[in-house]
Amino acid sequence: MVENGDVHEEILFRPIEQTGRGFYWTVAILSAFILWGVVAYVTQYYWGLGVAGLNQPVSWGFYVTNFVFFIGISHAGTLISAILRLSKAEWRRPITRMAEVITVMVIFVGAGQILIDLGRPDRMLNVIRWGRYQSPLLWDATSISAYMSASLTYLYLPMIPDIAILRDRFVGRRKLLYSVLALGWTGTEQQHRVLNRAIAVMGVLVIPIAVSVHSVVSFVFSMTLQPMWHSTIFGPYFVVGAIFSGIAGLIVAMIIFRKAYGLEYYLKPIHFRYLGQLLLIMSLFWTYFTFSEYLTGYYGGEPEEMKVFWSKFNGAFAVFFWGMVFCNLVVPIASLARLAHHTIGKVLTASIAVIVGMWLERFIIVVPSLSSPRLPFPPTTYWPTWVEFGETAGSFALFALFYVLFTKFFPIISIWEIREGREVGVKEVQERVLSYLPGEVEA
Amino acid sequence: MEHSNTDQLVKTLQWLWMFVFILLVGGIISWISHLIYAAWWLGDVPSASIGISLVAMPIFVVLLSVVLYVFWGLAVRGRGQ
Amino acid sequence: MALWGMVIDLDRCTGCQACVMACKAENNVPAVGADQAKRGRTISWMQVLTEQDEEHPENKMRFVPRPCLQCDDPPCTKVCPVFATYRNPEGIIGQIYGRCIGCRFCMAACPYNAKYFNWYKYQKEKPGQNPDVSLRPKGVVEKCTFCHHRLQKARAQALAENREFDPREYVPACAESCPAQAIVFGDLSDPGSEVSRLAQSPRAFKLQEELGTKPKVIYLTEGEGGG
Repeated sequence: MVENGDVHEEILFRPIEQTGRGFYWTVAILSAFILWGVVAYVTQYYWGLGVAGLNQPVSWGFYVTNFVFFIGISHAGTLISAILRLSKAEWRRPITRMAEVITVMVIFVGAGQILIDLGRPDRMLNVIRWGRYQSPLLWDATSISAYMSASLTYLYLPMIPDIAILRDRFVGRRKLLYSVLALGWTGTEQQHRVLNRAIAVMGVLVIPIAVSVHSVVSFVFSMTLQPMWHSTIFGPYFVVGAIFSGIAGLIVAMIIFRKAYGLEYYLKPIHFRYLGQLLLIMSLFWTYFTFSEYLTGYYGGEPEEMKVFWSKFNGAFAVFFWGMVFCNLVVPIASLARLAHHTIGKVLTASIAVIVGMWLERFIIVVPSLSSPRLPFPPTTYWPTWVEFGETAGSFALFALFYVLFTKFFPIISIWEIREGREVGVKEVQERVLSYLPGEVEA
Repeated sequence: MEHSNTDQLVKTLQWLWMFVFILLVGGIISWISHLIYAAWWLGDVPSASIGISLVAMPIFVVLLSVVLYVFWGLAVRGRGQ
Repeated sequence: MALWGMVIDLDRCTGCQACVMACKAENNVPAVGADQAKRGRTISWMQVLTEQDEEHPENKMRFVPRPCLQCDDPPCTKVCPVFATYRNPEGIIGQIYGRCIGCRFCMAACPYNAKYFNWYKYQKEKPGQNPDVSLRPKGVVEKCTFCHHRLQKARAQALAENREFDPREYVPACAESCPAQAIVFGDLSDPGSEVSRLAQSPRAFKLQEELGTKPKVIYLTEGEGGG
């Protein structure tokens, strides 16, 4: 039963039904960066990893940093949307779809980074044939596969009613696509019950998977004996950092698409205010973990750890370390402390700073520990080459392209959930609040 | 309304869609079992494999069940009332 | 079952790097070129580390030849995702070039940085190479193997000549070439071997012993008064 929605709803269908010049320009620019990335990778595939700036002892650099970074961003979606759904936060309704799409798209790009980092990518199937579960990389492979499938499912299930709406609007080949994916949805009570039950289960399932994903990514470092890697805090530290960077990524995506598709009616300052507050809270959380980590190292004063510590504090990596602190702590606090005015501008500033800051944080974790080996090796520096920059730019552009292409086929805001909010949500919240207030004890 | 041809095509593609998903998740589950077997056969820390699979397998099984449940509830049983 | 190990006497080591050159020649370790060396890609299965002597920092250098320490609890084998590096029953940590996917996790995990990577295809067929040691392709990790091919050859020789294999027939290239006889190699599980005897010396110490890697290359510290 398809309702005649709000006249404003038409704007949600516009990107799917029409394609403007802006879209083609965007795709062209993104493709240029992707091309740079492809050329960079083909060069690397042909000549070897030597075209990157990696060396002994810094055998991990940009690619591993990007891997951790992108997997971190993926926590935006599913985690936020799951937690907001489970806590019945009504303000989530226009946000959940965007968040879930980020997760799905960025997980592919993130997992791809590790494949790009391999010296012998032609042998990547060896991991499947001869994998060893004692290795944290296999924990990674399993966990990321679980997250990929779960987040894909968690994106798809709540999309089904929207796909049905599209099925009833379109004709021809598109109608076939939507008909297949809609799984015969007609909006009956029984179907709603099935779907809601499934979404509730997925919402609960996806949270431990998401937590495990970034924990095992951190275990790749913390399970070794290297100074400032072998730390028990890494699991929670990385998860907190991931949620932090994920919220920032979500905010940036929301602001971009709000502008590009004219979604001001749906994405209001209040949504950005709440997300901004969450971002500020995560900034403080992240700062607390970072402080604990470095204070512990400094206080213990172990010589090999201190070598790495000083290289970050006032040595070769000082610029990146303090840049990270500035971007992740100073800018968020300055922008997000009072969000009543210029909400979107402030929140955008903070989010961009956090994205840069969190990339620096991953870099600061990966490279300095490798740069200061325990034994007295002659000192070396790590200078990334055009190949690594190209690969990074190409990866960002690829993620953006996936996202933009998604919005061409499916609504970026969950139409049926907004309708549900109007029809059912308001009443539900009223009943809920009434049940909190003093009154009669329920039977 | 629609030709029964299109309807049939849609139904077939939906079953195919489910089949691919089952293949994927089923494939991952069998891969994990293969790794447990390999670790046991080589004597290479089989405890790690068993430990991981105790956590990972249930997750994939639940995921598969949820998707099949939705498919059944929407596309098969609850079809176009 | 033998347990192959090595004792390196730092008092005798003159830092001449004959062991490095012998290892390079024996194992077809590629010369990567000056350009690559400047970028930190030198491959040196046996590498002589230098550090200032603690008590006389301006006057004395300490030379520490560092092969793969063939740990009994190796951090590198734990993290390999594909079983390309493993500990064999005789205590030698093997490297399977044909299986390595080049993820470099073992390189990141080794606290002694004993593993090296082929960043390009450094090795080509050339005259004068040792036919007993395979050439490594690009994109894989390699490291010191205690000249394992020499062990295989010695065992095969003993079998062909219908006699018992004598552990003294197996000597890695570095031990064989050291002019100061600073490197002693042998079976640590044989209490009568020279290696076992030296390993008990009061001067014996292990690098980074507190990490628990149980390395099988044992060093003898310099004696009193500079020996």
